[in-house]
Amino acid sequence: MDAPAFELALELAAALPRVARDTSLCVEQRGDADLAMERYSAGDNAAFARVYDALGPRLFAYLFRQTRDRTRAEDLLQQTMLHIHRARDRFIPGAQVTPWAFAIARRLLVDSTRRGRREVLGDGTDMDAGVAVSPRADDLVQASQIAVRIELVLASLPASQRTAFQLIKQEGLTVAEAAQVLGTTVAAVKLRAHRAYEALRAGLGEIGVGDESGAADPETKLRAEALKP
Amino acid sequence: MSAPDSPPELPPHLRARILEAVRSEPVVPRAEGTRRSALTMALGFVAMTVILLAISMPNLRGRPLAYVEVLVLVWTPIALAATWAGVGRGRSMLGRSRRWLVATAVLTPVVLLVSWIPVTTYWPETLVDTSKTFHHVRCIAATMGLALGPFVAFTLVRRGSDPVSPLLTGAGIGTAAAAWGALMLPLICGFTSPVHMLVGHFLPILLVAAAGAALGGRLVAVRAKTE
Repeated sequence: MDAPAFELALELAAALPRVARDTSLCVEQRGDADLAMERYSAGDNAAFARVYDALGPRLFAYLFRQTRDRTRAEDLLQQTMLHIHRARDRFIPGAQVTPWAFAIARRLLVDSTRRGRREVLGDGTDMDAGVAVSPRADDLVQASQIAVRIELVLASLPASQRTAFQLIKQEGLTVAEAAQVLGTTVAAVKLRAHRAYEALRAGLGEIGVGDESGAADPETKLRAEALKP
Repeated sequence: MSAPDSPPELPPHLRARILEAVRSEPVVPRAEGTRRSALTMALGFVAMTVILLAISMPNLRGRPLAYVEVLVLVWTPIALAATWAGVGRGRSMLGRSRRWLVATAVLTPVVLLVSWIPVTTYWPETLVDTSKTFHHVRCIAATMGLALGPFVAFTLVRRGSDPVSPLLTGAGIGTAAAAWGALMLPLICGFTSPVHMLVGHFLPILLVAAAGAALGGRLVAVRAKTE
């Protein structure tokens, strides 16, 4: 596979929120969220704004990507933050806030979908199905076409694989955090994400992005290796 | 086809809206919440005791006193462990893992049963009794009634807290509550034969666990609040 193109495509598919692109910033934000929630649960009312600032952008990006609906994403983000607020009296000191927050957001999204309020996603039973990929103009650059192809491949994947891939690659969660969000094991998440990764490689190969020789650059190999079970 | 949309900027008005919503719905800090949870748990156990006394005063009914004492001594740590495993969340806000909860629901009745065997074989006269189906059914109902107080208390403590596996958490809560019910029952039930113990004392643990799982999706799950 043409490693640079594949990497570019992955980056486009990831469409990471600006604040989450920088890994160091992600780590800092996770720490911020944890500390702010601890202060909030200990009685510092003003600390919730810090919790929001640390989690809000990432959760909003996740919810928007899942719904493709700004209003719904805002509504779900508000519900998620209120759930976090309501757990103030039961917060466990030292607990990780980020996977918990994503798990709440995901659960609310599932509930919302089941109630038939979801407008974009598939059949209403699979919250991760049918990612919106509506056709647009002809003047797309190749990168955009690749990204769309990735969206299509992702949409065709089983929900478990797609969600694992999205949580890790798009939302910037660690494999362990994604496992917590999905209520499964680290090995299972690695396997799912690896399969999604392989499906993307194959899918991009079909449209001539890269070769099938597997001659990826070291970074690509490293990423694939990291996702292997 | 459209390229994947980058998420729009988080609107400033949303921050103000959410912070205002939070201000309008005050929640006590953790220290007060812990006190309330402890009080809730205590009330659950008081309710269990009241129900026990309402059913019957503790009575040996022909069994050796040591048999009852040993049984209570052996089963108390098991009930405590089931409560810790099935109701507690460990160090994660997401609660115990699915494997952990399944193990709690499956192993608790098994461990209770296995620990009862040496006790009853030590007092072989307890292996035979005159229990009938009616007595089995009565003990099933009694175990479930005794488990009610802890079940409500545990559920209140864990209400709306599980976004990942609420059904299994419900089963864990039911198992823990039923373990307390099973612990209390020998104080008032004089029947000790294997058939009666299996049907009247151990089966209801599974029934309460199943009830907990059935209710877990409603009571323990994270759900959108209906405005």
